[in-house]
Amino acid sequence: MGTAIDNRTSASLDGKVVYITGAGAGMGREDALLVASRGARVAVQDIDGKSAEETVAKIAAAGGQAFAIVGDVSKPEDCKRMAKEAEAKWGRVDALVNNAGIHERRDLEAMEEVHFDRMFDVHVKGSFFTTQALVPGMKARKAGKIINIASTAGMVATVGDAHYCAAKAALLGLTKSWAKELAPWNINVNAICPGPIATELAVRNRGWDGIRERAEREIPLRRYGDPIDVAYAVAFLASSESDFITGQSMPIAGGLAIVGI
Amino acid sequence: MMATDQRKSARLDGKVAVITGAGAGMGKAEAIFMAERGARVGVQDISREAADATAAEIRKAGGECLVLVGDLAKPAESARNMAEVEAKWGAIDVLVNNAGIHEFKDSEQMDEASFDRMFNINVKGLFFATQAVIKGMKARNGGKIINIASTAALVGQAGSPHYSGSKGAVLAMTKSWAKELAPWKITVNAICPGPIMTDMVIRARGIEGAKKRAETEIPLRRYGEPVEVAYLAGFLASAESDFITGQAMAINGGTTIVGI
Repeated sequence: MGTAIDNRTSASLDGKVVYITGAGAGMGREDALLVASRGARVAVQDIDGKSAEETVAKIAAAGGQAFAIVGDVSKPEDCKRMAKEAEAKWGRVDALVNNAGIHERRDLEAMEEVHFDRMFDVHVKGSFFTTQALVPGMKARKAGKIINIASTAGMVATVGDAHYCAAKAALLGLTKSWAKELAPWNINVNAICPGPIATELAVRNRGWDGIRERAEREIPLRRYGDPIDVAYAVAFLASSESDFITGQSMPIAGGLAIVGI
Repeated sequence: MMATDQRKSARLDGKVAVITGAGAGMGKAEAIFMAERGARVGVQDISREAADATAAEIRKAGGECLVLVGDLAKPAESARNMAEVEAKWGAIDVLVNNAGIHEFKDSEQMDEASFDRMFNINVKGLFFATQAVIKGMKARNGGKIINIASTAALVGQAGSPHYSGSKGAVLAMTKSWAKELAPWKITVNAICPGPIMTDMVIRARGIEGAKKRAETEIPLRRYGEPVEVAYLAGFLASAESDFITGQAMAINGGTTIVGI
């Protein structure tokens, strides 16, 4: 039996640098807080500087290390600049969480090109060029973890947001392709597919009563997930405990979306 | 914002985990690992000698465990094993259905005895081991069931149709139970290990043969270690995976990238 890894008490992230896009709110912020509490230094990327700074302040208040990076992931030149800022600060990025995303409902007939483009620019181009900017460093160090936040919508789809479903499915395609392309450098690429998660946005949209009602009716585990439920999986996939897992998707959905393998 | 406040690690303190087939390979690694994370472990195996050896390692490291000897193909023996654990520790929080057999046998050569033996252990054995822990998990409104399937269930393996079929059945039971047992907060997930460097692989291919295969066939260019499967099982056994159910996680160094 035997193993080279001697890190059994927890999936520690001590000494690692984790770059999280869209970390100013919701799941991204929760990811940032959790990985920081496990010892990682966190590059908190967001398009909104104020919310990024809030996440940084929360991490600092808990004794962690983080700094804010502000820019628009849908612009490849921003992705490049932001990646350089992170690498200049700490000399490396060990794990990238492509979390930034947007959502809107818009029927097929009501879709305008600008909506379509924005959806793909943020999710697909954003993840693509952020990854492109950080891969050279990972290759040079012969190690890295890339975690793409997709969605159960990318697996089973929802009604009235075809562009969102398609953008998330594209992320799953990138995940699989990159896993194969980057494996020779020990870079793992995996996706997480969150289902119903009680983010601030979901609470604003449905209210707690609406959330409870939907949970009772539709979710086998009869509750929404908490952002921390997603963060736990992010931390696991960012840690050395998942070194042999690549090209895979992990749905976190309380029993919704039981499909595929 | 969050109900859970358990940020340090996927600890298993205070939990009771039963691992079937824990006398060797991945099951042994899972048993040792979960004990290190704080669980009391039921070390089930058909071979007392093998189970004792795993138990000795756990105790040497300061862990707590109970040796369970039984033949999974006999439902009554699973019921006896699980009852013994519940009598000793009052609960079973986690069941890892790891025990399984494998053999190569072409479809034309298949005889009913080989077919039955494969399904009796890998499918029926797993079914009734699970049945034996469900009552207690329901009563406590919580539980974790982790089924060890295989990449063979995802993409097939030439020359072992009954093995691939049995593991496919394990995946379908995983999904069905996830839905059936969700009202009691029992989560059910599967792990599909690919090439893992178990003693069995080393015997079959030799280290050099395994290395050669890794270079040519495995994107990450190495076999996985049994403990890497244990890490994933540990995550799925912990409270950190409470919102994950009905899913199959493949761990194979990139060899099998399918499905979602």
